[in-house]
Amino acid sequence: MAPRDDATDPRAAERFDKYVDAVLGRGRPSPDDVVDRDEAEMARLAAELSGATDAAAAEPDEAFVEQLRLRMRQADQGIDAVRVPPPVRVAPAATADAGARIARFRLSRRDLLRGGLTVGAGLAAGLVGGAFIDRALNDAEAGWTDQELVAGNGEWAEVAVTSDLPSGAVMRFTTPAFDGFVVNDDGEIRALGATCTHLGCTLQYRPEFNDLRCPCHDASFNLRGWLANDRRNWQQDGPYPGDARAYPITLPPLPRPKVKVEDDKIFVYTARI
Amino acid sequence: MTETGGRFEQIYDAHVVAIYRFVHARVGNRPDAEDLTAQVFMRAVEQLDTTRDEGQIVAWLYRVSQNAIADYWRAFYRLPLVGTEQVAPGWEPVAPGESAPDAADDVAARRVTALLRRLPERYRQVLELRFLRRLSVEETARELGISHGNAKVLQYRALRKAALMDASTDG
Repeated sequence: MAPRDDATDPRAAERFDKYVDAVLGRGRPSPDDVVDRDEAEMARLAAELSGATDAAAAEPDEAFVEQLRLRMRQADQGIDAVRVPPPVRVAPAATADAGARIARFRLSRRDLLRGGLTVGAGLAAGLVGGAFIDRALNDAEAGWTDQELVAGNGEWAEVAVTSDLPSGAVMRFTTPAFDGFVVNDDGEIRALGATCTHLGCTLQYRPEFNDLRCPCHDASFNLRGWLANDRRNWQQDGPYPGDARAYPITLPPLPRPKVKVEDDKIFVYTARI
Repeated sequence: MTETGGRFEQIYDAHVVAIYRFVHARVGNRPDAEDLTAQVFMRAVEQLDTTRDEGQIVAWLYRVSQNAIADYWRAFYRLPLVGTEQVAPGWEPVAPGESAPDAADDVAARRVTALLRRLPERYRQVLELRFLRRLSVEETARELGISHGNAKVLQYRALRKAALMDASTDG
């Protein structure tokens, strides 16, 4: 419903001024200060006005450009080895079980994604139902896939023994090429990058929330490597435990290098350096 | 440093400033412009085929930027994230003329200044004080000789009027 021009609620004007103040450089604009479509149009116009009239902020900060360059370089080196299609490998008998279990899960997830997308094209999200499917749709839309990263010219690095990683346990590991966590998620062993996909801070495991938390801007990743406390998650699941507000942007998931278990040892496939 | 890494940095150096400006013109503030710029280039590391020619790479970067900006605004509109444009991994051909980045920025700037000129006097004043001269609400209220509360109401109405005018000119 369009508000009438002569009846502006002073409280609405007060609240919306927070958005304007933020966009004018006094904080980070939040969708929480924008309550309906009309205000979203106003916010967008204010953002364009601000963008067009702030010559200083229209130029990127040099420190930002350098920091992002380093992040890209690191990501590129980490991903370089996994960009290439996987070599054909005969899995040793000992790893067949774990491999099959992971592969089976992944297949079902992919099927879900595919099925979800077909359904989603014809139905409103609410009809599809289920936060998980909604999220799968969103993730697929964003162009992210829940596939394990598969390495080309890499090596298997031993990172833990299974007896140190009972169900529910999470351990940090470091290889020359990769910092990560190895996770035993109810029997499924998984490796995840330990670097936040926002600005590259090192994630901390929080047992009480069962997540990987970024100390810099409070992004939380779940143990599948997906951002767990952004606005979409709040909209679907309600407030994130322990947080006062949603993480403001979406982030790519954590990299997931390939894992194998051999003779009670856990190996992660990472780049050779 | 691998050869691919070197190529990425060439692309980065050539385009990071333009992409940042492009994004900033659409989100209007530095923290969000930095986040979205970072998203675009981190995605480029994962998905951009660097063997493509320069024009195709530029088109890819702007397409991904546009999608990131659309995602950003979707949070404000609270629209369901279904059935919207999808970022295809890798490369898709883009029609010639689809990416005219710097020109597009000028267009955005010209559009908002034209919009300001068409606003009623009082509305134009409040937006000029706030956005062009970047005064605080307090300073704006003083300039206009009204209370803080009224300055905020005036600003709200001015933005609403401008947004309505903008929507009607867009068709």
